[in-house]
Amino acid sequence: MTRYRAAPAATLRIVPLDVLTLVYHRASGITHVVDSPVPELIEVLGLNALTLDETLAALAAAHDLIDPDRDALAARLDELAAAGLVETL
Amino acid sequence: MADENPQDSAPSAGEPRPSRRALMLGAASASAIVSIKPALAQTAGSVLNCEIPVPDPGRAGSYIDANGKVVPPGTKGAFPPAVRPFRGEEVKKAMNGANLPGTTYDQSRAYTNYIRRLQRGTSGFTCFASLQMPRG
Repeated sequence: MTRYRAAPAATLRIVPLDVLTLVYHRASGITHVVDSPVPELIEVLGLNALTLDETLAALAAAHDLIDPDRDALAARLDELAAAGLVETL
Repeated sequence: MADENPQDSAPSAGEPRPSRRALMLGAASASAIVSIKPALAQTAGSVLNCEIPVPDPGRAGSYIDANGKVVPPGTKGAFPPAVRPFRGEEVKKAMNGANLPGTTYDQSRAYTNYIRRLQRGTSGFTCFASLQMPRG
């Protein structure tokens, strides 16, 4: 089963900017403008490599998750993986 | 007095932690990331290739009225959905007075109004919000 893990914290510079957050990825030199729930996902995936269901559970444990939609989370994780901010194991 | 007001008092052990916030994953189709590559970031007026569908896929087929509201298909005076998503660069030009590609003046105004009203969690929001950020 696919597990997801955030890029190492030392490679990321995360700066909240009003409603959005800037994530500078030192490894690629790319700046990502991200919306919630991306910073929250990077946070929960920075501790351990998690499966999709474990990620959903970790988000729900840390936040009041309004729409615990597995497909939406999978889409967010795919997007993060494509951007290089999360790696799949 | 102030101590009796729950909004002013410090949270005690039994209350939810202040860091616990409501969180939305958003629609599966809504992108939450816009990436700016170094070469683009250094270019004034950088070309943003992110896309904004009008309307978002969750409301595909709906029309857009002159104020940018999403209305039922066929609503009189409203415009049909855009045939393709608009690119960040095209939207940026439209915000400066140009027409969106393939649209009439009024249609472009309606679509632009729709884009201005985008909410977070909707397709195109991150793209539009990133267009608003000053660069230099």
